[in-house]
Amino acid sequence: MAYKPSMRRKSDDVDMELDIRPVMNLMVVLIPLLIASAEWVRLGSIEINVPPSKAGAGDSGDEADNEEVEKEKKLGLSIAITDLGITIASPGAVLTSEENQDGPTIPILNDGKQDYDALKEKLIEIKKAIAGKGYKDENRAVITAAGDIEYQVIVKVMDYLQTYENDEKTEILPLFPEVNFSKII
Amino acid sequence: MAFQPSKSKKNLFQEKGTLNMNSMMDMMTIILLFLLKSYSTEGALVTPSEQLRLPQSVQGEKPKKELSVSVASELILVNDVVVATVDDIEEDILMIEPLRRKLGEYAQQEIELQNTVGKEFTHVVNIQGDEKIPFEVLFKVMFTCSKSDFYKMRLLTIKTGA
Repeated sequence: MAYKPSMRRKSDDVDMELDIRPVMNLMVVLIPLLIASAEWVRLGSIEINVPPSKAGAGDSGDEADNEEVEKEKKLGLSIAITDLGITIASPGAVLTSEENQDGPTIPILNDGKQDYDALKEKLIEIKKAIAGKGYKDENRAVITAAGDIEYQVIVKVMDYLQTYENDEKTEILPLFPEVNFSKII
Repeated sequence: MAFQPSKSKKNLFQEKGTLNMNSMMDMMTIILLFLLKSYSTEGALVTPSEQLRLPQSVQGEKPKKELSVSVASELILVNDVVVATVDDIEEDILMIEPLRRKLGEYAQQEIELQNTVGKEFTHVVNIQGDEKIPFEVLFKVMFTCSKSDFYKMRLLTIKTGA
């Protein structure tokens, strides 16, 4: 006796839909996970390059270098921050304020905050006066501060040292972006 | 009198509706791809905490993961391990001795790596300081870093728009 033909031959094509539920589950889990681990705070990093410290500072080889350095024109701009205000100075002179000859160049504002805008104006004046005169360190400023000045204030001063716009407001030029630190001992 | 509606025919032509998920899937796929793209595999650079609030700044480039020295309001940490407290800092000495020792170890490791594997010693260190720390502490930390072979310092800040 022959076998009975298979019933499967005639069975209709089942119209199948893709089961996307597992994929949906995956997405519902993955998306919150990725959102949670995303970095919402944008970090920045300010570069400060200190020349590597040399162990033997008094080598005879260095002296020749030093002489060469001295021949170059140096501005040596330094900005001192205290809780009375900001003083701008260079090795030759200290910039005094218009009102008070002994006080800092830019006294603090009445609410106890540093007058950053005035600082920027003064620095732009200086920058314009020295630009193109061949100073080796025309982009460099040394920041020094009293021991109790907050980090935020220093970072803020550095922000204001970065760039300025020229008179026509067409170009953004570097002000004193290369920052060094020093300390009054 | 109206006929009573037929009970058997009432449900005869009811269509079986299905939720169309295609557009939702599209959306989810796009969001997923976007998030994956913006996902950084480097891990978080900073662990935010009450004691370590970074100062705000408008400048700065995108930071890279490097050796990190964190100066919280009371503690000094190297790669999230406490090495000193702020009280340990001696008044008249610029060098912070425990920090110098720890950084010296790291520098030694880096130099060994450079000699054996050829991984370049970058001399870079990320300094994360709390916005309230005084300049004196910051300066001493920077001084110690520069004396410990990590003379390329990056100050980490939170970038603000204006």
